[in-house]
Amino acid sequence: MLTKVQSERLFVGSVALAFVSLILATVGIKSQLFQNIQYLILLFSSLSVIWIGFKAGKFIFITNRLRKQALGWLIAATFSATLWLFAQKDIQLIFPVLKGYRKVWNTFEPFALFATVVCILFALILFIVGSRDSKLVRPGFIERSLVNNLSSKIAALPMVFTAIGVFVIATLWTVYHSFTNSRMLPKSEFVGLGQYERLWSSDRWYISIENLAIYGICSLIFSLFIGFMLAALLDQKTRFENTFRTIFLYPFALSFIVTGLVWQWILNPDYGVQKIVRSLGFDSFVFNPLYDLDIVIYGILVAGLWQGTGFIMCLMLAGLRGIDQEIWKAARVDGIPMWKTYIRIVIPMMRPVFITTLVIIAAGIIKVYDLVVAQTSGGPGISSEVPAKYVYDYMFSAQNLGQGFAASTMMLVSVLIVLIPFAYLEFGRRKHG
Amino acid sequence: MADSAVVHSIDGPSGPKPRKTLSRRNIILYGTLFVVAVYYLIPLYVMLVTSVKGMPEIRMGNIFSLPLEITFEPWVKAWSQACTGLNCDGLSRGFWNSVKITVPSVVISIAIASINGYALANWRFKGANLFFTILIFGAFIPYQIMIYPLVILLRDLGLYTKLPGLILIHTIFGMPILTLLFRNYFTTIPEELFKAARVDGAGFWGIYFRVMMPMSLPIFAVAIVLQVTGIWNDFLFGVIYTKPANYPMTVQLNNIVNSVLGVKEYNVNMAATLLTGLVPLAIYFISGKLFVRGIAAGAVKG
Repeated sequence: MLTKVQSERLFVGSVALAFVSLILATVGIKSQLFQNIQYLILLFSSLSVIWIGFKAGKFIFITNRLRKQALGWLIAATFSATLWLFAQKDIQLIFPVLKGYRKVWNTFEPFALFATVVCILFALILFIVGSRDSKLVRPGFIERSLVNNLSSKIAALPMVFTAIGVFVIATLWTVYHSFTNSRMLPKSEFVGLGQYERLWSSDRWYISIENLAIYGICSLIFSLFIGFMLAALLDQKTRFENTFRTIFLYPFALSFIVTGLVWQWILNPDYGVQKIVRSLGFDSFVFNPLYDLDIVIYGILVAGLWQGTGFIMCLMLAGLRGIDQEIWKAARVDGIPMWKTYIRIVIPMMRPVFITTLVIIAAGIIKVYDLVVAQTSGGPGISSEVPAKYVYDYMFSAQNLGQGFAASTMMLVSVLIVLIPFAYLEFGRRKHG
Repeated sequence: MADSAVVHSIDGPSGPKPRKTLSRRNIILYGTLFVVAVYYLIPLYVMLVTSVKGMPEIRMGNIFSLPLEITFEPWVKAWSQACTGLNCDGLSRGFWNSVKITVPSVVISIAIASINGYALANWRFKGANLFFTILIFGAFIPYQIMIYPLVILLRDLGLYTKLPGLILIHTIFGMPILTLLFRNYFTTIPEELFKAARVDGAGFWGIYFRVMMPMSLPIFAVAIVLQVTGIWNDFLFGVIYTKPANYPMTVQLNNIVNSVLGVKEYNVNMAATLLTGLVPLAIYFISGKLFVRGIAAGAVKG
């Protein structure tokens, strides 16, 4: 025989399992694996809910307060029942507005029905338990999970859904399907590492990676350097600091598309910089980065730096402002020149700021997509392709999902390589501090 | 303490040494800043100048020269006649689509995220931090890996290529950063206030609407600025989750400018580009410090 605590846990656990299985089913993870297990879980959990319901009288709960809470669960039941009603054809005939989103209601229909049943059951349990007059003791597991802090849990549902339902499941889904031979539609036929072999033997992917590496390293170095220099210049009790900051930061408000198009125009060989220099008398002057296979990525880099350095400057400025003024005074008393103070004292003190900035830049770099699309569309030829564009093109234009999944998984892996040491550092620091 | 007092007393005249305005240091400092500022302003200037020139003038002159005669025709054309593929109704369609996407996305995402942040800051429950960590991790993961499953989700919901679907996507992907923003802000509100409200009998929602929300209007403003610019500037989600009739402004702009059909009208292109950039620029210049605060708050992830 189970103890009270065990059966309570079993009960709540099974309800949670049922929820998970239903979410899996409704979200459209149409894998054989889930489909069969889901009904088993459902059966199991509903049986245990009923069983606990019968046994509930024997458990110790805090009384009366619970009965009030039953009302809340009834309200929730009404809510999900309404959602279920929306999916019914007769109701849709009466309210034609609902028809526009027929598919939404249909998708949620089983979920809503299930939720209604569960909510009514919860309400019943709380009501039965609440009717019994027992002594005030430490709240049991049921009370702690069903009653305490309930509003907060309900309010956090969207977050839970996003975190688990989207971020975790979607990521796992894509990683899983990167091992299949999906083409137009996702399939579950395994081909092992086939997609990855194809990926790494394709020229286009190789060029994408190379471009990303050049773009990434250059933009890391330059934006950190320029950003820090600008911040240091603005930190000299400069007049018009606000004006300068506004000017340096405004590109960051613009989208990558706008940025890309403007720089495409400025770097246009027939009208832009090249033509102006030539018209000054340097007839053989050549500067057309967007049409030169070898340097096209630097043309994109110029635009990217223009857009992003203002932001880095802001972060650095915040970091500089966080440094104790006493340190400057101390350095001056000791007769240390300013540049040396920066290199030897201030920059080491700003280590956390630099690490955060580094991670932000790195996470941004790997997402680079819009800028390339706007400025060169990957051209000339395939010389300015980037991984994000590779993913998009294979998923939505080339109808080769498997390649897209494999490429996006590689992107994920590279982000994790940066992110995990960072998270480890952060975590470690907090633990020690 | 005593030492410093002595130092001060023998210091003689107090206050910093007066500086010359035109010292070498100042010339270098302001000179550098000025040059960099010019570099940053050039693209805006070029956009503006090109968009009010006629095509013949563009072909003859250079992109930096001031227009000889100002014409607003390119602006009119960009707004109402520019072509994407076979459609020739200009950027106005994209503009209104963007408005229809941005307004509900901003409202919904901020409403949800602020309540999430509030639950995380003041009503923490078991396991809340785990979900929050996953959420923050999700902000760093490349979107590309989550794109396709979300296409399936939207298709199942019948929202794929429709505006509500895109709004849902923006709500989902705006959540990590906004939740973090609100959570961090709410934790700085003194706990005594929260406790006092509880003693007075206010519940979860009561405290949120009567205490927390009125006290945190600045952070709501920051969130609005952050979201409006972010969603307005989005390109990836717009191009994936909508169809041509519903394209947001950025996508339509890219299609207009980079279309291979027809003669390239650079002045119209620049007018269209500037038009698209106008909304975030306006928000940036109006909101001023709020924008800086927003991105700084967005920066301290993790």
